[in-house]
Amino acid sequence: MGRVVGIDLGTTNSLVAFVENGAPVVIRDKSGDGLVPSVVSIGGEGTVYVGREAQRRLLTDAQRTAYSVKRFMGKGREDVRHEEEHFPFRVSGEAGGVVRIGLGDKEFTPPEISAFVLRDLKRRAEDFFAQQGEFDNEVDRAVITVPAYFNDAQRTATRDAGRIAGLEVLRIINEPTAASLAYGLDKRHTGLIAVYDLGGGTFDISILRVEDGVFQVLSTNGDTHLGGDDIDVLLMDTILGDRVRTPEDVQAVRQAVIQAKWDLSERDETTLNGRPFTRAAFEALIAPVVDRTIGPVRQALADAGLAPSQIDEVVLVGGSTRIPLVRRRVEEIFGKRPHSELNPDEVVALGAAVQADILVTGNREMLLLDVTPLSLGIETMGGVVSKIIMRNSTIPASGSELFTTAVDNQTAVDIHVLQGERELVADNRSLARFKLRGIPPMPAGLARVQVQFQIDANGILSVTARELRTDVEQTIEVKPSYGLTDEEVERMLLDSFEHAEADFAARLLIEARNEAESVIQATEKSLRNPDFAAIEKDELAPGERQKIESVMAGLRMVLNSKDRETIQKWTHALNDATQHLAEVIMNRTVKAALSGKSVNDV
Amino acid sequence: MASSTTPTLQVCRDCGGGAPIDAHFCPQCTKILSLGRHGDYFAFLGLPRKLNVDPAELERRFRDLSRQFHPDYFYNASPAERRASLERSSYLNDAYRTLKNPVSRVEYLLEVEGLAAKGPAGTTEREGFSRASVPPALLEEVFALNEELDEIRDARAGGTPAEQWKPRLERARVPIDAKRAAHEADVQALSGRWDALVDAGAPGADRRRILESLRQRILERNYINNLLAGIERELNG
Repeated sequence: MGRVVGIDLGTTNSLVAFVENGAPVVIRDKSGDGLVPSVVSIGGEGTVYVGREAQRRLLTDAQRTAYSVKRFMGKGREDVRHEEEHFPFRVSGEAGGVVRIGLGDKEFTPPEISAFVLRDLKRRAEDFFAQQGEFDNEVDRAVITVPAYFNDAQRTATRDAGRIAGLEVLRIINEPTAASLAYGLDKRHTGLIAVYDLGGGTFDISILRVEDGVFQVLSTNGDTHLGGDDIDVLLMDTILGDRVRTPEDVQAVRQAVIQAKWDLSERDETTLNGRPFTRAAFEALIAPVVDRTIGPVRQALADAGLAPSQIDEVVLVGGSTRIPLVRRRVEEIFGKRPHSELNPDEVVALGAAVQADILVTGNREMLLLDVTPLSLGIETMGGVVSKIIMRNSTIPASGSELFTTAVDNQTAVDIHVLQGERELVADNRSLARFKLRGIPPMPAGLARVQVQFQIDANGILSVTARELRTDVEQTIEVKPSYGLTDEEVERMLLDSFEHAEADFAARLLIEARNEAESVIQATEKSLRNPDFAAIEKDELAPGERQKIESVMAGLRMVLNSKDRETIQKWTHALNDATQHLAEVIMNRTVKAALSGKSVNDV
Repeated sequence: MASSTTPTLQVCRDCGGGAPIDAHFCPQCTKILSLGRHGDYFAFLGLPRKLNVDPAELERRFRDLSRQFHPDYFYNASPAERRASLERSSYLNDAYRTLKNPVSRVEYLLEVEGLAAKGPAGTTEREGFSRASVPPALLEEVFALNEELDEIRDARAGGTPAEQWKPRLERARVPIDAKRAAHEADVQALSGRWDALVDAGAPGADRRRILESLRQRILERNYINNLLAGIERELNG
C-alpha cells in the first residue's frame, strides 16, 4: 500500500499535505513554496508544464496555457459561453456536451487539465517521501477537496480528474468543512462555527456545530462562480478598454492587476498602469463583487435557523479573504472579528490530510458530517421538479420515488434527475437522464417501480430501481448530462501516460527558475515594506538599495534563459545583496515584538 | 407501511444469526447489520414513540450512532459492510432530520400509526386537502380572505399604488396568523396527551382518537401555510 495525501485542488493554486506524527503538514518544494499554481501549459513539442513554469509561459505562450480550469469542471459548452472571452485558450465542445479546452493542436476536457495538476502534486509528494528516505514513497490515494456548493457533475468531474491522474480518490470533501477540521485540531472546540471561504473562483459559506469531536454541518450555501478571478477581471477591464492586445499583453496586465490587489491588502496605495491606485478606489470598484457573498451567508444562517449573533466563531478561508474590505464585511455581518490564525491558502489542504488520515487509520476522535448543498429532484408532468432529497440534508442521504406505467405493456420509463432549488425543470441543473428498463409487461398503472436515490459521503449520486410487484431489480444506465463515461475516464488515464513530462534537465531548470522567482518576490516585498524609507535612511549603506535593485533587474533578465547555472549565479548574487536588509528587518521585527508593539507585515 | 404484526427480529446476513430488530450490530459476529428488516425512526434511534423529544437527547443519540456506523469507519471493511454502513447512515440521517422538526415528527408518527397525512416518507405521493376543498374548520377565514384578496387584486389592476394595498394585505393575514398560532397550541396540547397515553399504555381506541385529531390539525395547518405563502407571493409580486 502506498501513501495517502490530502489535496486542495484550487482555482488559482493547489496544495498537497499529509499527516506526520498526528499533525497535518503541507509538502513544499525546494524553495519552501507549498502552492502549485493550477496552471497547465503545453509546449510546442508536446511537453506538459505545470505550476510556476506554466504560469511564466502565460507571458510567452498564453494561447497554449490554461488556468482557472476549475470554473469549467462539470460544465456544458453553453454554461461558459459568456466568459470564455476572458481566457487566452480556446474553449469548444459540442452543444449539450462537456467543455473542451484547446491548447496548441490538442484538446482536453477540464478533468484532464486538472489531472495534470494532480499528477504534479502526486510527484511532489513522492519526491518528498523519497527524500525522507521512505522505502514506500508511492502516492496512490488521496482525499480531494471541492467547494461545498459544487453540484453532482462538478464533484464527479473532480473525482474523474483524480482517477485520470492515477489516484484512488478516497473521498471528496468540502473545502470549508476541511478547513474547520484543521482549525479544530489544536483546541477542543464546542459551539457554532461559520466558515467563510472566498477563493480564486468560488465562494462558500458553511455553518457547523462542533461537539464531542463531531463536526456537523448544519447548512451550506455559496456561488461556484464568485472569487478573486472576478475582481481581477473588473480591474483588467478598467485598464484594457477596447484596445486590441495580444493574449500575452492581456496576461501581463492580469499579473500587474493581481500584484496591485495584493499590495492593497497591506498598504493604502500602490501604482497600477503607471498611476497611483488607492485602497479606497479599489474598494469602491470591488464592493459589488464582495457584496454578492452576503445573500448566501444570510440564506445559510436562515437554513440553520440561526441569527448571526449566535455564531461563536467565524473562520476565514481562501486567498481573497486577505482583502481588508472582505474582512470588514464579514465582521459587519457576524458582529465579531473573524479568525485567521492559520494561513488561509493552506488550511483546506491541511484538513484534507486529516480526513485522509481518519479514513485509512479508522481514528474515531473526529467525525465530519457534511450536507448536500442542493436539493435533488426529478422531472414530473408539466416540466415541474419534484424534490426527493432536500438541500442541507446530512449525507449520506437517500430518498425514493414510485413510478408506474402510462400505457399497457410499457416496459421502460424515462427519468430526468435534476439538482437545484427552483420549481421549474428549466431553472435547475440537469444531472442525468436515464431509461428505466425491464419492467414486466402488465396493464397501465399496475407496475410499481421504486427508484432509490442514494447520495454517498462524497455528495455523489447513484440510482437503483426495483419493481415492487415482481421484486425485480432494474438496470439503469445513467448518462451524465455534462460528464465523462467510465470508458472515457479509462481512456484518458491511458492517454495521460503518453504526455511527456519535462525531462530531468528541464526540471532542474524549472526548479532554478522557481527559486529565482521566490527570491525576487521576497526582495520586492522587503522593498515595499511601509517602513522601508526609514530603514534605508537609518540602517542601509549608501547605494545599498540601488545595488539590490540592479542585481534583481539582472536576475529578471536571465530568468527565462535556458542557462541554469547563470540563473543560479544571479539568484545567489541577489541573496547576498539582500542579506543585510533581511537581517535589519528581522531585528526590527524582534525588537517590536519584545516591546509589545505591533509591526506591519514584514 | 405499518403492519399489524410488527417484526421483532432481523437476520445477520453475514453469520445467519438472529438479532433484535433495533440492533445495529450482530450480537453473534459483531459485524454491522445490513439494513434489511428494521424498526421505525423512533426505534432506530432508541427513542419511545412519543412526540416530545428532548433536542439535546436526540442530538446525542444522532452523534453516538454516527460514530458507530459512518462510512468513514468502514473504508477498509468488506463491500457488504460498506454497503451496510452507507444504508444505515442514510437511514439514521433521515430519521434524525425527520424527528428533529416537530411538524415532520407528527407527520411521521401518523404515518407509522397508519394515518398518513401525506405519502410515505421519502416518496412524493401526496394527498390531503386540495386547493379546492377547504377544511370545514377554516371555511369562515378562507371565505373572508378570498373576498379581500379579490378586491385587492382589482385595486391593483386599477392602478392603486402599493402603499395603499400592501397594508390591506397585511391586515388580511392577521386572522390567518392567529389561526396558525391556535393550531400550533392545539398540536402541542394533543402531543402532550399522546405522550401521556403512551406512558399509561392506554388502549388503541383512545390513542386512535388523539391521532385522528392530530391528523386533522396537521392537514389544516398545511392548508393555512399554503394560504400564507399565497399572501407572501402577492406582497412580493
